[in-house]
Amino acid sequence: MTEQATAASILVVEDEPEIRRFVRATLLAERWRVREAGSVESAREALVAESPALMILDLGLPDGDGIQLVAELRAWSALPVLVLSARSEEADKVAALDAGADDYLTKPFGVRELNARVRALLRRPVATEADSAVCMGDVVVDRARRTVMRGDVPLHLTPIEYRLLLAFIAHAGRVLTHRQLLREVWGPGHGTDAQYLRVYVGHLRQKLERDPTRPRHLLTETGIGYRFQL
Amino acid sequence: MPNAPGQRGAVAYLWAAVVCAATTLLTLPLLGHVDLANIVMLFLLAVALVALRLGSGPAVFAAVLGVVMFDFFFVQPRLSLTVADSQYLITFGVMLAVGLAIGQLTAGQREKAEQASAREAETQALYTLARDLAGAFAPEQTGEIIATFLAARLHVDACLWLPASDGGFVAHPPLPQGASSAQSRVAETYASGETMLFAAGESQYEPGIALPLRSAQATRGVLLAHCPDAGGVCTPDARRVLDVVASLAAIAVERLHYSEVAQQATVAVESERLRNALLAAVSHDLRTPLTVLVGLADALALRVPDGEATADATAIRDQALRLSAQVNKLLDMARLRTGNVVLRREWQPLEEVVGSTLAHFEGLPGVGRIEVGKLDGLPWLSLDAVLFERVLCNLVENALKHAPTGPIRLAAAADGDTVEITLTDTGPGIATGDEERVFGLFERGGGERGGVGLGLPISRAIVAAHGGSIVATNQPGGGACFRIRLPAGEAPSLEGMPDD
Repeated sequence: MTEQATAASILVVEDEPEIRRFVRATLLAERWRVREAGSVESAREALVAESPALMILDLGLPDGDGIQLVAELRAWSALPVLVLSARSEEADKVAALDAGADDYLTKPFGVRELNARVRALLRRPVATEADSAVCMGDVVVDRARRTVMRGDVPLHLTPIEYRLLLAFIAHAGRVLTHRQLLREVWGPGHGTDAQYLRVYVGHLRQKLERDPTRPRHLLTETGIGYRFQL
Repeated sequence: MPNAPGQRGAVAYLWAAVVCAATTLLTLPLLGHVDLANIVMLFLLAVALVALRLGSGPAVFAAVLGVVMFDFFFVQPRLSLTVADSQYLITFGVMLAVGLAIGQLTAGQREKAEQASAREAETQALYTLARDLAGAFAPEQTGEIIATFLAARLHVDACLWLPASDGGFVAHPPLPQGASSAQSRVAETYASGETMLFAAGESQYEPGIALPLRSAQATRGVLLAHCPDAGGVCTPDARRVLDVVASLAAIAVERLHYSEVAQQATVAVESERLRNALLAAVSHDLRTPLTVLVGLADALALRVPDGEATADATAIRDQALRLSAQVNKLLDMARLRTGNVVLRREWQPLEEVVGSTLAHFEGLPGVGRIEVGKLDGLPWLSLDAVLFERVLCNLVENALKHAPTGPIRLAAAADGDTVEITLTDTGPGIATGDEERVFGLFERGGGERGGVGLGLPISRAIVAAHGGSIVATNQPGGGACFRIRLPAGEAPSLEGMPDD
């Protein structure tokens, strides 16, 4: 991993120099290369000039709208984007994620949280190995044979539940907004009825989690969506 | 020639006589040169003239006088009312009949013209009134304009009575005295929405009439008009004018009302925007150094090998995180205290909110003590999950702090159309008499152990915003019990979405 990492550069877009300093120090300690930008304008330039492997973007930049930048970026690049945001700004986070950001981190955050998010975003998505089996605790999802087993006992999922589970697995470790999940599982035109989604996530938790009240894999991101943890 | 209404009557008849006399004097020299039939025509012309200028009465008078004068001065034997040739009786008859007919027709024409111009003047006056009212920007001004108008048109004292904030009515323009004597009348009219007439002698401001200012939406006030002579405001003409003025006043007052509402809304939006901007700025200014502090301390704790320095760095990080949590609570409270938090409510199972709440305590000491009762099967709740999660977090945090040992139990049950959520611990409980006080701002339950006690007031504000209630009690067997009651409502059905 270290060898690949030295090649990958991460663009940090943050207007507060002290936060930038700490983020840079943390990333350098993990042997990533770091580029910095203090404004949306310089971020645009760096995105073209540096072609980084990941962008870490503060949503509260003084010279513009970070959400807009994400939307622009998505027109030409699939570069992973990690958004930094304050608490109590769930609406902004959802907007950034719906615009194409891949995950978020709430300030203040620690070194381990930052590293975990960065690693998750730079890891190859599970979706590319579409036929592999996935273990979540004692449950094994075999996507080639389309089975879900707990030990030797097969678990029966409805087609919708299975599609929802596949969507979660494809984006394992990343947050997914209600809208993204609804679109992916039910198709466009069903982007707003989070109530429906909650019913099926509830079903999945009943079937897959040991204690549905304290889920270990299908985590709620309150006010935003869900995160699937292997 | 006189034309004004005041000069009708005797003067008009005198003028009619003068016209007849003048006609006689002017035509006498023609006698002998002109046929008598043509002289009759000149007299009829005089009658028409009188009718046109003086009205129907003088015209009748002129017609009769003309016949008499014609007989006296022109018909043989002259200077006598006797008639030699009896065929002149036909001339007189026809002359009288034609004179009367011309007189009546001409006078009728004239009256209609007069009425038309009077109506035009009235319309013009009301138009001017409406324009003046449209320019008024305060109730005082509206009242002044109405009073001036009615004093000029109807010779009555009038004022607008508009409802005041104290439930009474205020007069515009203000009355010098006896204002209270009319209050009950005004209130009665305002409540009933019907025009009321007052007989003389009931108070010093009566007789009079009270008209409600009715607009499409509501009754906006009362127009009170009174005049010393009882009949003055009750003629059909006066009533018509008063009705029109009352509707104009209603429109004017309603316009003022809505412009005030709009202005208040603008001010509210503006101050809300300012407040939010201020909170955002404060929040940013506090959070930025805290983010740096937490991050650097964390990085330091991971980097330095020495045990003691690591412990110090970890302590700095933990304290910075605590400070951050406290700042969050203060900001939450500031937002909630402004009283206009917009809930982003969505229907969801309580189980999900409890799950995300417990996730916050993962890995913290004491998390193993938290027990959760059966939550599936409860009706869904319409919650702002972000805020409600804070309520549950505050309660769990509170229990972990104040009950250092023993289980902390979270349970919920449906009870009719409410859902009751309880959080119980086996700690020392709440001092008797403090069950309400713990929800007060900056109250620390139990004292010495940290926190300025924002958690419970925040929780109460959030639950109240959801239309629910939260109370603290002590359990019979010891330990505190926090009880949240929320209206359950009915989640919309989930049809219309493609299923499996």
